[in-house]
Amino acid sequence: MTRTLIVGAGQAGRRTAELLRGLDAEREILLLGEEMEPPYDRPPLSKEILLGEERPRGLMQRDAQAYGVHRITLRLGESVTGIDLGAARVETATGDRIAYDSLVIATGARARTLQIPGADDPRVMTLRSMADARILGARLRPGLRLAVAGAGLIGLEVAAAAIQRGCTVTVLEMGVRAMARCVPEAIGTRIQAWHRAAGVALEFGCALTAIQPAPDALHLLTSRGPIEADLLLVAIGAVPNAELAGGAGIVVEDGILADATGRTSHPQVFAAGEVARIWQEAAGRHIRFETWQVAQHQPVAVAHALCGTAKPYAELPWHWTDQYGRNVQILGAHDAALEWLEREEGERLASLGIDAEGSVQGAVLIDSGREVTPLRRIIASGKPVDRDRLLDPSVPLRKLC
Amino acid sequence: MTWHDVAREDSFEEDVPKVVQVGEDRVAVFRLEDGFYAISDICTHEYALLSDGFCEDGKVECPLHQACFDIRSGKALDEPAEIDLATYPTRVEGGVVQFRL
Repeated sequence: MTRTLIVGAGQAGRRTAELLRGLDAEREILLLGEEMEPPYDRPPLSKEILLGEERPRGLMQRDAQAYGVHRITLRLGESVTGIDLGAARVETATGDRIAYDSLVIATGARARTLQIPGADDPRVMTLRSMADARILGARLRPGLRLAVAGAGLIGLEVAAAAIQRGCTVTVLEMGVRAMARCVPEAIGTRIQAWHRAAGVALEFGCALTAIQPAPDALHLLTSRGPIEADLLLVAIGAVPNAELAGGAGIVVEDGILADATGRTSHPQVFAAGEVARIWQEAAGRHIRFETWQVAQHQPVAVAHALCGTAKPYAELPWHWTDQYGRNVQILGAHDAALEWLEREEGERLASLGIDAEGSVQGAVLIDSGREVTPLRRIIASGKPVDRDRLLDPSVPLRKLC
Repeated sequence: MTWHDVAREDSFEEDVPKVVQVGEDRVAVFRLEDGFYAISDICTHEYALLSDGFCEDGKVECPLHQACFDIRSGKALDEPAEIDLATYPTRVEGGVVQFRL
């Protein structure tokens, strides 16, 4: 029987396994994960879990037994240490050798760490796994002085949760504003205002240079002066877990290079989810995504490719954040060179990035989920749109698709 | 179970639901080509109001994470939703749309 081995039992690994089973009732599917937790989606880790919810639905976590029903062999607590491409097998930390006919690497990404003195203190944390989220959630208590390094999406979601839990929160950001990588300045300013209104201190242009651990506090040395904290959460981005692939001789350049079907430089090996840097025809280059979307939808391409059908991954990038009960959705890769215009209707807002030809290339929406699908179509069409109608909230966007 | 009034039949726009709260239940009532349909207004994936979502071709999308549901059957059509929505019978009485709960 043909065996597909999937290394990495996160969202992308689960999706690959389930989609593959849907396409092929016969083959053997083996899903190996390092963690003891059955696969789960990560969005609730920086939100509901920190607010004390035990098992939010958004985790999409099934019992380990549920995999048996679909004849997916799920092995948890298994760490793969090497891939032998010539022999088509992997080796695990326990010395097991597992042969495969096709291999999917879905090892995801890990939180980037600070490379400064004192960063190895146990009060310096990152957030990536369920275990991290449970530890962090348990430490958030009224009066705790939490410092967050990084005013990106994860840092701000944690800041929002922590202030709701009664912590004193300071966010330290090297750049000049919040979420600079993914939203235009005017939106960043609004998001900053939500945080300041809730009592979060935001420090921009603030580089953390050293951590001096003392028994009663962490003394953070920054370019803006010293700050005391009980706990420091480092949220400065993610690094793809591509070492396993690279060590085996698969081409890795800031992620595993993959074509639009997910195939890597080795024809028997595929990359799924955040570990992959995927060829995007429209952009004319490989792109690595750090989103729920890529873990959810790119495995569709991988599962089809494993069954011999081409279904290239080509999606408009989309991600979201939820902070203080507000929902922000981001369509397209942020580009400060676009002209960003606002369409506002009370609390609901759409910020639209328009190019020189008058076509919408990207959008950020606040509490306007209804407009995401029409905007996705407007962006996909690439056609110039009448600006007055676009910015007039009384004209439904669906009329402009 | 009782019949609850929603609104006059002629006040509905296609693809724009009307929402009625009955105790703890929130019900969204849609006018589609072939009649009126009532479903639970709460996404089964995470807490979100489907009445704030995009609606087309008999389907409604969750405004938060784009999970999609069939309005006629309540069926969850794709991940991240996997649990179907509750549906409620509807009728038109004297020009007023009602659902039973």
